[in-house]
Amino acid sequence: MRQTYGKHLPGMKLSDLSGKLIVVEGTDCAGRTTQINLLKTWLEEQGHAVLDTGMTRSPLAGEGIRRAKEGNNLGRVTQSLFYATDFVDRLENEIVPALCAGFVVLTDRYIYSLMARAIVRGMDAAWIRSIYSTALVPDAVIYLRISVDDLIPRVIFSRGFDYWESGMDVFPGQDMYESFRSYQTALLAEFDRLSAEYHFETVDASADVKTVFAEMQRKILRIVESDSRKEFLAKRPEHVSESPLVRAEETFAAMPRDWARKDLEALLSSAAAAYASNGDGRNVA
Amino acid sequence: MYTGGNLRIGPFEIFHSIAQSFEKPRQNGGQHFPGKLFVVEGIDGSGKSTQLSLLHKWLESKGYGVVFSTWNSSPLVKDTTKLGKKKKMLTPATFSLIHATDFADRIERSILPLLKAGAVVLCDRYIYTAFARDVARGMDSQWVRELYDFAMRPTVAFYFRVPLETAIGRLVTARDGFKFYEAGLDLGLADDPTESFRLFQGRILQEYEKMIPEFGLTVIDATLPVEVQQAQVRQIAKAHLDRARELRVRP
Repeated sequence: MRQTYGKHLPGMKLSDLSGKLIVVEGTDCAGRTTQINLLKTWLEEQGHAVLDTGMTRSPLAGEGIRRAKEGNNLGRVTQSLFYATDFVDRLENEIVPALCAGFVVLTDRYIYSLMARAIVRGMDAAWIRSIYSTALVPDAVIYLRISVDDLIPRVIFSRGFDYWESGMDVFPGQDMYESFRSYQTALLAEFDRLSAEYHFETVDASADVKTVFAEMQRKILRIVESDSRKEFLAKRPEHVSESPLVRAEETFAAMPRDWARKDLEALLSSAAAAYASNGDGRNVA
Repeated sequence: MYTGGNLRIGPFEIFHSIAQSFEKPRQNGGQHFPGKLFVVEGIDGSGKSTQLSLLHKWLESKGYGVVFSTWNSSPLVKDTTKLGKKKKMLTPATFSLIHATDFADRIERSILPLLKAGAVVLCDRYIYTAFARDVARGMDSQWVRELYDFAMRPTVAFYFRVPLETAIGRLVTARDGFKFYEAGLDLGLADDPTESFRLFQGRILQEYEKMIPEFGLTVIDATLPVEVQQAQVRQIAKAHLDRARELRVRP
């Protein structure tokens, strides 16, 4: 059964969370977004319903965080907690309902990035871990690791140095380049520490997109294929659709909480659209 | 630099932070500031805000530099809280976290620097409100306490103790209807707002009672006449201010 890192949120039934939770971690410009877009298409072709989510995308706190970052007055504790609010909103309203419906959830960063950023900003490590003790333990954490030297050209030739990603709030005396180096070096060190503790599966992100993607596919196949769902599908009579959508709808009908149901409706309609465009035949693995 | 010692709390190991030179939020509790922090706590309708505003006026008349901070008032965060409440998007966990975020912003940008500068800071509701409400909503009490670990301990935390029925009597005559989260309607305890409010505030009251010994709250009997309560409050506040004359703005 799925577990959390120690504390349970009220109303969350862990035994219902039959989907797969796959985390993609890595620093800025490590290629997370590119890889997640590729993975999503690939997994959907394989017949899996996929939800992708990522930092500051919550309907509750996403906009508030964006506004707060525009000014120069977002404190370190406030920042850490604002991100925690955003995370828990998505955990409860997106990730959990999707797992409940048997989706593969791809999340662009998870608690590890949030912890690393807070710790590098001087927050107490025990404090930040305590806050995220309510998070679900994922099925895999794929860490796109890249050295600062490999990272810098990517940043310069994509969107340039950004105030927050360069950690200018942490190293205010330095110029953006120096600050970026110091900040990303500290983040990498923290990621390496977390990697050992939380068993990250490291992928060398300095390789080209195709190589990284192939490596990720290999790791993810192990997870989605080890699923007992496959066995379950094999036993089902042929006239019953193998689509995870059927499963999703069954779960949906049995869901206890209004808020979860509402979000699932949106998920289901988007998944249904995806399936309609793929055609039924593609759902059979 | 990694310092070595690991600490086992619950199911996972805690590693000490790399950056020992940075300011640690949880150290605030043990620090001593020249300023004074007075907070009022109690269920809705206990009369705490009235008492705090009377204390405020008195301190100002005595020439103290007084700053007032209310719950849910951070300019960076309050719009998000409003959005969550208006659209009923908040779960017990996000309700707890967004209030902690608001509180953190007020601590970092206002309360902490003011206390360091020697001001008298008055807070209408403090961390104890969060402990009471969040636990009443089903959050883990230890988790909520750790969440607020960055808060400094107040000089005095006044708890205005009042029986539930007295508080409800005051509120029903004073305003029309209860708000959704205030009445705990998100918990589905009862359909009727007044009944839900009664059940929810009852839980909160129990939590406050537990916190009196846990945090050494200063209990004021809120059924006494306003003037009597205020005299007690001023006497207690005065005892702490006598030892801090440098806080005065003018003689």
